[in-house]
Amino acid sequence: MTQVRRRFHEELEDLERDLMAMGEMAESMLGEAIDILVNPEHPAKKAEIEALVDRDDAVDDLYLSIERRWHEVMAMQTPVAVDLRLMSAMLHINAHLERMADVAVNIAKTARKVRRLPTSDVILGYIREMGDVARHMIRTAMESFATRNHELATQLPDMDDDVDRLNGRMYREVRKCDEDSELLEWGIRMMVISRHLERVGDHAVDIAEQVAFLLTGVFREFNEDTSPDVDDD
Amino acid sequence: MDVIDSADPAARAATPGESAATAPDEAETFVLRVEGLNAFYGDFQAVAEVDLDIRGNEITALIGPSGCGKSTVLRCFNRMNDLIEVARVEGSVRYHGVDLYGPNVDAVEVRRRIGMVFQKPNPFPKSIYDNIAFGPKIAGYQGNMDDLVEESLIKAALWTEVNDKLRESAFALSGGQQQRLCIARAIATSPDVLLMDEPCSALDPIATLRIEELMTELKRDYTIIIVTHNMQQAARVSDRTAFFTVDAEREQRTGVLVEFGETATMFTRPTQQKTEDYITGRFG
Amino acid sequence: MATGTVDTTTVVRKALEGKRLNVGGLVFEWGMLLLLLSSLLVLVVLLGDIVSGAIPTFRARGFDFVTSGLSLNPETAGVSTAIVGSIAITAVVAVVAFPIGIGAAIYLEEYAPDNRWTRFVDTNIRNLAGVPSIVYGLLGLAIFVRLVDVVGLGGQTGGKNIFSAGLTLAVLVLPIIIITSAEAIRAVPNSIREAGVGVGATPWEVVRHHVLPSAAPGILTGTVLTLARAFGETAPLIVIGVATGFFGAAADATVLERATGPYTALPVVVFSWSRQSVGAFGDTLAPAAIVVLLFVLFVANAGAIILRNRYEKTW
Repeated sequence: MTQVRRRFHEELEDLERDLMAMGEMAESMLGEAIDILVNPEHPAKKAEIEALVDRDDAVDDLYLSIERRWHEVMAMQTPVAVDLRLMSAMLHINAHLERMADVAVNIAKTARKVRRLPTSDVILGYIREMGDVARHMIRTAMESFATRNHELATQLPDMDDDVDRLNGRMYREVRKCDEDSELLEWGIRMMVISRHLERVGDHAVDIAEQVAFLLTGVFREFNEDTSPDVDDD
Repeated sequence: MDVIDSADPAARAATPGESAATAPDEAETFVLRVEGLNAFYGDFQAVAEVDLDIRGNEITALIGPSGCGKSTVLRCFNRMNDLIEVARVEGSVRYHGVDLYGPNVDAVEVRRRIGMVFQKPNPFPKSIYDNIAFGPKIAGYQGNMDDLVEESLIKAALWTEVNDKLRESAFALSGGQQQRLCIARAIATSPDVLLMDEPCSALDPIATLRIEELMTELKRDYTIIIVTHNMQQAARVSDRTAFFTVDAEREQRTGVLVEFGETATMFTRPTQQKTEDYITGRFG
Repeated sequence: MATGTVDTTTVVRKALEGKRLNVGGLVFEWGMLLLLLSSLLVLVVLLGDIVSGAIPTFRARGFDFVTSGLSLNPETAGVSTAIVGSIAITAVVAVVAFPIGIGAAIYLEEYAPDNRWTRFVDTNIRNLAGVPSIVYGLLGLAIFVRLVDVVGLGGQTGGKNIFSAGLTLAVLVLPIIIITSAEAIRAVPNSIREAGVGVGATPWEVVRHHVLPSAAPGILTGTVLTLARAFGETAPLIVIGVATGFFGAAADATVLERATGPYTALPVVVFSWSRQSVGAFGDTLAPAAIVVLLFVLFVANAGAIILRNRYEKTW
């Protein structure tokens, strides 16, 4: 079998390669941001945060580049069938990854703001765990995309349950901080970060949904019954 | 797929949109039913074992690579293959329940009811008027010919462009106009099926779009079957698409039907890998 | 960048404007021209010789030469009998050969199955077109002269009249008519046949309404030129008994008697006059008759062209 739309399919491959690179960047940025936040011996330095913001700019450039090329391919190559589904999936994945990188920057900026405030080890533990699960989710989702592995994609909702559960516990822990106003301020900021990480998990699930659509041609939302609830106990 | 003997040959096609599965009379739903169609040119088998049901007031597109037999199948619908001496057809093509290859069927009458538009616009070297009047005249049309010519031209969206030059040569028209004239000519014998064999392949993009627009208009009154090399055209105009390809497992380059379904489904998630490979250009 | 553009321009200019003298090509071109001129020269000499021979006759007799009949006296001899004979023969050829030839062409192109037998017939028609005309003369003598006599058109000549002559020449030109008509029919694009059949026409209706009208200009041109050939034939006529000397019909002869009586044709008159090597017949009358013959053929060819042009416009 010979390729008769070589240029078109090379363009698709280029887009996919850039998306994978973006996935890796978003995932590692998230890791670094959480490291800055949770490491007590590691007070957030301005330079580190600026480096992270620079990397976010690179992600944004890539995001815009993919978006622009996506439109060109769409207009000029009129993809159909699996190519059309791939295009559709890539557009969504692009947006999700860009937001994940933004979350990383937000976490790092928060780390700088709270560097003089007291902390809670339990809460930091939760954040670290949520970060680990979220990063694992990103890696899994992107791997299922790269390898066209439907089975792998379907594992995402279970992972997301862990994130949601940790996010729920977070609320209870932050309420315990009400004796110390500074600790409470820190706790509230951590609450926001937890909420961000929970959203990262949702983005990863959405990516997996796109992968499933790409592979099956049918779009369905994974476990739509368990919509995340911050107040869930 | 059982036999339907009770079908009224003059029955008109069922209205579109009506769910096919629940239609009581199959001959009402399916204007043409192809079963086990095999077509040969001498010793060469061009098409093998095609089953295809064409619904009324829909546009059905036949697509596939060159030599896949899609044009042959189209020409089986109005017995155009009769013109080729060595051509032979097996299986049944039922038109409103009547087998077109039955022993008492008159091919000339078949072609009046199942009109055809060809790849290259091929008006007769006569006036615009005579081009349209010829078919009805030889069929012994008794009504007002002027009215019929006007009506046919209006339906083919050509009337406003030619109403003041009906007596002029058809060759004075542009390619796109000539093709619409050919459509008007096919309509004039009041068929209920229109076969179109790559009707836009000789036309520029704008003329192509006008024909496509016209096809969607004509769908209300006619059942249209179009062979096209342009997959985007199939995607744009057709309700259902049949994908043919050359069967690699046969000794000869015989065409087979790979997949037949709703066009929207075919172009977003075809069920057959061969279809997917072809329409996405991963086919050699 | 600017220098680069200039450089490219210079290079391209040098490449494009370099003139090379093509000696071989020029020699060939001039050689061809020379050949053309030499063949034209032969033609001009021939025409000049004939016209100069014919001038005395036309100067002395004027149009009278054309309107006078056969005579033993060179002073009064003319070509009118021969013109009438030639036209009558050509008319018989047209009546016989046209329908048969065109019909055969239609059958071969539109109806005959493409098999070994058809190809055999087709090849043989082409071969027949190359058979020397004298052979047709023998055929005419053996068959048509007798046939004409048998059907009662023999008259006083026993069948050696314009009917047998016309039939013989008809058979002579039939292959050519079939070939040119078949080619004209084959040139009609198949898309027109498909269009006709597509709107529910029978094969005959397609031929009648579309194929024949489209092929008509070609058929017409071919057949008119073929008639011109029949007009100029001599050899077969001599074999089947055309009169080469003087003859005359009784003043009270009926049309039938005249038609079935002795006849002559323009090229035959040229032949018989030029045989008389001495005297006015060979020196001045034969060239004059040739001029008349050439004039008639010229008119026929012109007519064919006019006919075709007119037919092409009147679809």
